[in-house]
Parts: sequence; C-alpha cells; structure tokens
Amino acid sequence: MAAMGEKAAAMDSISRAPAPPSALNLATDTAVRGENTCPEGATEPTTTAPKKPSNNNDGGVETAEEATEPAEQDINELCKDMFEKMAIFLQGELTATCEDYKLLENMNKLTSLKYMEMKDISVNISRNLQDLNQKYASLQPYLDQINHIEEQVTALEQAAYKLDTYSKKLEAKFKKLEKR
Amino acid sequence: MSSSDSQPRFGQSVKGLLSDKVGSCSGDVIALTRQVLKGSRSQELLGQAARNMVIQEDAILHSEDSLRKMSIITTHLQYQQEAIQKNVEHSKNLQDQLRHLLK
Repeated sequence: MAAMGEKAAAMDSISRAPAPPSALNLATDTAVRGENTCPEGATEPTTTAPKKPSNNNDGGVETAEEATEPAEQDINELCKDMFEKMAIFLQGELTATCEDYKLLENMNKLTSLKYMEMKDISVNISRNLQDLNQKYASLQPYLDQINHIEEQVTALEQAAYKLDTYSKKLEAKFKKLEKR
Repeated sequence: MSSSDSQPRFGQSVKGLLSDKVGSCSGDVIALTRQVLKGSRSQELLGQAARNMVIQEDAILHSEDSLRKMSIITTHLQYQQEAIQKNVEHSKNLQDQLRHLLK
C-alpha cells in the first residue's frame, strides 16, 4: 500500500510537471535562469512588471509565466535619443539634395537678373534705333536735295568746261586777227 | 531587407534579440533612404544642371558685353545723326545759289 501510495505521489508529481517547453518558454526559461537568481521551477514573478501570458495547456498542468525585468528608467530617454538621432541623420541625408536645389535656385535667380538687365539694355537699344531710323527718314528730303545739288554741280562743271573751251577758241581767233 | 533570425538562439536573451532587431531595423531604414535618394538620381541631375549653367555663364557674359557695345555704338550713331542734321540745313542755301548760277 505504501508502495502504491508512493507510486501515486510520483504519478501526481509527473502530472503536475510543467508543460513541454515551447520555443518561447525555452527562451523565457533561459532568460529566467540567466538573469534571475531565483530557484528554478514553477516560480511566480517577484516583481510587478508586465507579464506575458503563457500558453495554457490542458487543465491541471502548471504553467510558468515569464519573469520580466522592470524597464530601466532611462530606457525611454535612450529610445528618444535614438529616434532623435535617427531623425537628424535622415534629415542630413535629405538636406544634401535640398542644398543642391537651393544652389540651382540661386543660380537661376542670378541668371534671370542678368537676363533682365540685358532685356533693359536691348529695349533701350531698340528704342534708340527706332528714333534713329525716324530721324534718318526725316533727313531723306535733305539727302535728295544733296543729290540734286550734285547734279547741278555736275551741270555747272560741264558748263564751265564749255565756257573754258569757248574762251580758248575765242582767244585763238583774236590772236589770228591781230596778226593780220 | 536583411532580417536576422527571429527565432531565439541558445544563450541569447530577449533583450539582446530586441536590440539586434532595433539595430537591423534602423539599418534598413537608413539603407532604404539611401536607396531612394540614389534611385531618384537627383544628385546626378542637379550636378549636371549646375555644370551646364556654369558653361552657359560664359556665353551669357559675352552676350551682355555685346549688348553694351551695341548701346555705345547706337549712342555714337545718334551723335553723328545730330551732326548731319546740323550740316544738312545749309544745303538749301547752296541749292538756291546754284540755281541762280545755272540760270
């Protein structure tokens, strides 16, 4: 009977043994072993940290819950710092392209200013040339007069040559008559 | 993207896995950003645009120089036109005198 009782106790202990370790539980168990100094076995967490729900097997089997460490107080600060630095880095990566665009924008602005100056100069030139064309057009009658004057001067020159020839003939006749 | 083994390894704590995962995620984000920037080819195109602009600058300066010279020449032409105007007004008297001479 005592042997039976012992066997029953052994069966009970076997039935109360923890469930076959799953992957999670194995990891959690190793975490527990590595980090906690608590004794092994089905232990309940001694801290107030949030716990992961364990896999529930059939009733009558004890399950162990993960023993988590309390979050470090500065972990939030570290996370914030990490994300801030990540943001700064990404901003820096994008700033290079932004600076290229700004450079091109400045170059375009300067070029447009240059072209505006050139446009003003060319507008002035065009206005002056139009005035000049009008003034030269108004000079046209005078230029016609000059042409007419030139024709008259040519005619005068012809007349002068004829006069010169006539006067030389007259002189020769006079000398002939004088000799007689 | 690179993905580390999500299965827990023997002897590796959850904390270590988490930090590895965070590190790999941040590395992936950085690589993604760089790939996006590289794929957009904005660096090459903007650099090429800047180089072309620098090449054009010489032609623009030359054009401006030519325009200024043209404006100076136009001014000289105006002076010459005024001188011609002044002298051409004497031609009427000259014409009258010639007419008398040729009568």
